This record gives sequence, structure tokens and C-alpha cells, in this order.
Amino acid sequence: MRAVIWVLIMTMLLAAACRSPAPRSNEVVAVAAGTVPADPSDPIWRNAPEYAAKLLPQDLVDPRLMKASTAEVLVRAVIAGSEIAFRLEWTDPSKSDLPGAGQFIDACAIQIPARIEPDLPDPQMGMPGKPVEIAYWRADWQASVNGREDSIKSLFPNAAIDHYPYDAPPLQPGSPEQQEFAKRYAPADAVGNRREGARPNPVEDLLAEGPGTLSPATRTTSRASGVYGQPGWSVVIVRSLPEGLAPLTRTQVAFAIWEGSLDEVGARKMRSAWIPLAIREAE
Amino acid sequence: MARVYNWQIGREMSYWYPESRPQKQFAAVFDINKCIACQTCTVACKTTWTSGRGQEYMLWNNVESKPYGCYPLAWDLKLLDMLNGQEWTGNRYDGQTIFESAPAGERALGWRPETQDYAYPNVGEDDCSGQVNGGASFSMPHMNWFFYLARICNHCTYPSCLSSCPRSSIYKRPEDGIVLVDQGRCRGYQECVRACPYKKVFFNPMTGTSEKCIACFPKIEQGIQPQCFVNCIGKIRMAGWISKPENARADNPIDYLVHIKKVALPLFPQFGLEPNVYYIPPIHVPTSFTRQLFGPGVDEAIRTYRNAPNDRDLAGLLCLLGSSEMMMPRWKRQGDTVMGLDEKGVELVRVPMNEPVHIRPAFDRLYQVQRTNCP
Repeated sequence: MRAVIWVLIMTMLLAAACRSPAPRSNEVVAVAAGTVPADPSDPIWRNAPEYAAKLLPQDLVDPRLMKASTAEVLVRAVIAGSEIAFRLEWTDPSKSDLPGAGQFIDACAIQIPARIEPDLPDPQMGMPGKPVEIAYWRADWQASVNGREDSIKSLFPNAAIDHYPYDAPPLQPGSPEQQEFAKRYAPADAVGNRREGARPNPVEDLLAEGPGTLSPATRTTSRASGVYGQPGWSVVIVRSLPEGLAPLTRTQVAFAIWEGSLDEVGARKMRSAWIPLAIREAE
Repeated sequence: MARVYNWQIGREMSYWYPESRPQKQFAAVFDINKCIACQTCTVACKTTWTSGRGQEYMLWNNVESKPYGCYPLAWDLKLLDMLNGQEWTGNRYDGQTIFESAPAGERALGWRPETQDYAYPNVGEDDCSGQVNGGASFSMPHMNWFFYLARICNHCTYPSCLSSCPRSSIYKRPEDGIVLVDQGRCRGYQECVRACPYKKVFFNPMTGTSEKCIACFPKIEQGIQPQCFVNCIGKIRMAGWISKPENARADNPIDYLVHIKKVALPLFPQFGLEPNVYYIPPIHVPTSFTRQLFGPGVDEAIRTYRNAPNDRDLAGLLCLLGSSEMMMPRWKRQGDTVMGLDEKGVELVRVPMNEPVHIRPAFDRLYQVQRTNCP
């Protein structure tokens, strides 16, 4: 019996040792690799040191988050070629990825100064003349990329709908005429600002020069992949390497997490301060 | 916060932005006493603007049966409860507006309805949804009266949807005061839904942005009243332009009803938004209730309205409601005829104050037949 217990203890210790091979770091260090991993479970991540970014409630501009929620986000980073990938992991006991009135979505974002220069922009969305680049990932967008099709029927199974004008004959389903007519009843779609529905990418690139100035980048080049499990979300965001970032230079990075089940959205978020971001060349 | 003047509460108040009134302010008068809740306005709006996916639950225009009806659920009661009891001294509101009572970290006092709060517009409000068994009864605080309250966006002078948006995605048009959500800028934070006390901003789960009544601005731009106005079979509505009280003109129909006769009153002026839809209060409802909805001017408004048979100008102007699809920025009365005019005084419509009545004998002597009424 004593031998069995001994074997069990040894097995547990061995398993624990295998699970967290990378040491903690006091800055975000992006390690070089052959390719950037697109999957949160890729073993390459074990080579990157883990940084625990402490999060604070956004309580500087209204509307504020008055009560702290997500305490920290664990960050690892890898570079390859002209790209840098971040793996964000945070605890979230409730998955929130369904759109609706009064419902909010789990999300995360990475922020980097648009330029490497001694004077940093404000960590809260930059400042006039000192823009920041933001890559913003959302759980419902991830669900869409994974193949979930949200419809009124799927969101509200008991809904009864008589008729949509743009689905009526003689318009052919899916025809350009039908799609154009449908936009009359989806004004955000008509102006290219659809925030829900089918999309190819769960992340969007944004620019900001201070709170309230967030605007889409000319185009989104980042890509991302998020997985929900225990203890919460693991999300990989791959973006272009910040211009000028090299092994002997540093820039800064900041992170934000939104806990949808706590109505966190927009300015109501947990966010980090600026954190140094360095590159370690392949050994 | 800036200090701005809100004439509806008779004092300055705090608001997120400085006072900036439009060149013209869209406004409306609804005569509650004439509304029969046929919901033609609701359907006219629905079929025009909100027939798309994600808009199913949206009623930019709705009509609810007061005192118990509401859409979304308890939209008024919840905020009144949050504001707690507040006082007026004469025409001055001594209590706190939703801007002045904003909790730390918020721009306005508000709450956000849940999906279920939108589930039952008008169901069971004034009709039976099942058979009433013999002897069945219920007891409520207000047992022997009700009225219908038609509601659209108030296109407020101090919109809380606008001030609460951290992205400035909501704007008030300088040319007509219509409040709109910029569909290209909105990111669906729903701060506006939380902050609007009238709950007239709706989140579209299919596009991920918030949407609201646009006062049919493409029609307004052509001098035509909105869909819910021109389709009103009870002719309870008139759209127009309202001046500041000190600039009120007797030949402007909205000014006349609101500022001069003071017969039309704003909905929940104590919230502090200076809403621009004005209601002629129901005359059969205890004023202890309607004072809460329309402020301290209710008793005077009802006296004035009841006196309309002796007030030819007021009676004449009330005949103009629903008489034309055109906006009528000016009006005048000549004898028993009242006319709606455009800005230059050109006549748009002419309405007799007393419809001519012809009584035909039941027997037609010419043809020697009995007349029958048939459609």
C-alpha cells in the first residue's frame, strides 16, 4: 500500500513539473521561433517565459469600472519573421459569447505604441499625437469563425417571425439585389460597420489617440484564435512586428480584459499599465 | 459637467456638454385624450424602419396602456424608484435630474433592460388573454381609469443617450435637433440604452450596434411629417418646431400649445433631458398621477383644455392635428376656419372647425323610396 502511495505522489509531482516548464519573467519577452504559433495549445509556447500582467480597473474616464474583476492575465510572446504572437490566458468562470440586449461579450486586447520613442503615450488608449495600435479579440467573433451561425431563431428559439421584406419574392435568395435590399434594414451593415454575424477573423486592428477615439485601422492584418476551457480563456493574437522593434530595442505593451458576465464593455474593462516588451533571439 | 439651462425644470442643471441648441428643434404635440391605442402608428413605424433581422423587438414607436403598461418592462417605474421622491416648488424642480444623481463612474443615473423586459409589449394590458371565469376579479391601486401613452424618441435638448456614449457616436443635428446614432461609429457598448430614461434606444443583436427613432428625417427634410404622425387615424399628433420660451411665437402651432396656452407638457421633465414630445394630459385621470408624468403644469393644462369650447383659437388649432401630411410651422384662424401655413405664410391646408352636417329624411319623396344607410 505504501508503495502505491509513493508511486502516486511521484506521478503527481512529475506531472506538475511537466506542466509549467517556462519560468516567470519580469517583462514580456518574445522568443524567436521558426513560425509563430497560431494555436494556444502549441508546444512552442513552453519556450516563452510567462509574464503575469496585473490588471487594474479602468477608473480614469467615465464610464468607469468601479469594481475590480479579472486580476491578471498570463502572457507569453513569440516572434518569427515579421510577426509577433501573444498568448493571453486568464481565469473566467463564465463563458459569455452570445450577443443580445443587456448581454456582453468576453474579450481581450493588446496595445502597443504606434512608434518606438522615449516618451510613451498614455497607457489608456494613447493621446493626441501619440497613437497606439490595438488588436481586439472577441469571443462571439471567435464563435462565428468556429462555425456558429447566430440567428434570431438560435438566440431566441421561441421567437415567431412572419416575414422579412427582403426575403420575399421576386428577390432571389443570396442575389446581389436581395443582399442590397437587406442592407436597408441593417444600417450598420450598409455603412460597413457590422459588429455581429459571419466574419472570417475574430480580431480587429484599431488605432487610438486617447479615450473615445478608437477607430478601425485601414485594414486588419492581425489574426487570432481563442479557446475556452479551464480555468478560462486562452487566446493567441498574431500581429505584425512593431516597426523598429529589434533585439536591442524595447517597446511597451499593455493588455485589457473584458468579463462579459459582469457587463464589462468599452471603457468598463480591466487593463494593465505599460509593460516592457523585449525580443530574445533564438539560441 | 457643464451648467446648462433647462426651462422645463425652471433652473440651471448639470450636463455633460455645454448648452448648444440647434437652429431649429424638432418637436411634437400628442393629444392623449384622442388616442385609442389602435397601434397604427406603431405598425407604420415598424414596417418603414424596423423590419430587419435583429430589429424584431424594436418599437421606435409604441403605445402603452397606463398606469400599468410599459415597454420595456417598468421602464418608468424603475428609474422613478432609483430617483426616489423628489419635489417641485411651483414650476421649479428642486430634486435631482438623472445627470445630477449619476453614481460615481457614470454619466447619468440609469439601468439597462434585460432581454426578457422586451418580451411582452401590450400583451394583456387592456384585453383578456383568456376566458374570465365567473366571479374572477382583481384589485389594483388604480381601478377605474386608464389611458394610452404613445411614445417615440423625445429628441431631447439634453439627450442622455448622446452624453453617455464614450465614443460620441450619437449626435444631435444642428439643423433640426434630431438625435441620431452614427451607425458607422457605434461599437454596441449599449451605454445609450442604459442612460436613456425613456428606453428608446435599442441594441440590434444581429448588427451589434444600437438603433433608435430617426424622426423620419428623410421626410422632415422634405417638409413632411413622420410616418407615425401621418398614419395616426385618431389625428392625435402634430410635428413642428419649438422655440425657447422667451422666443415663443403665437403663430407657431407648437409654441402656441406648449408655451402660450401651456396645454401640452413634457414627459417626465424631472429627468432633466428637456424632451421635445409634448402631451396634452388625459383629463379623466387623477392629477396626483399625471403630475408625476408631466410635471406641475397638469392642472392648468387640463383646465385650459376643458375650456377649449370657449377658446376659439385653441379649439381651432386642435382641429389642425392630423389634417395634413405636411409640416405646418405656422397657423392662423379666420372665423370658423383654421389654416396650416408654411414658413412664408403660404396656405398648406384649410380645416373647418365645425364639419358641415347634412340630415336627409329617411323617405326620398322624389323617388318615393326609403333611404337606407349602406356602405
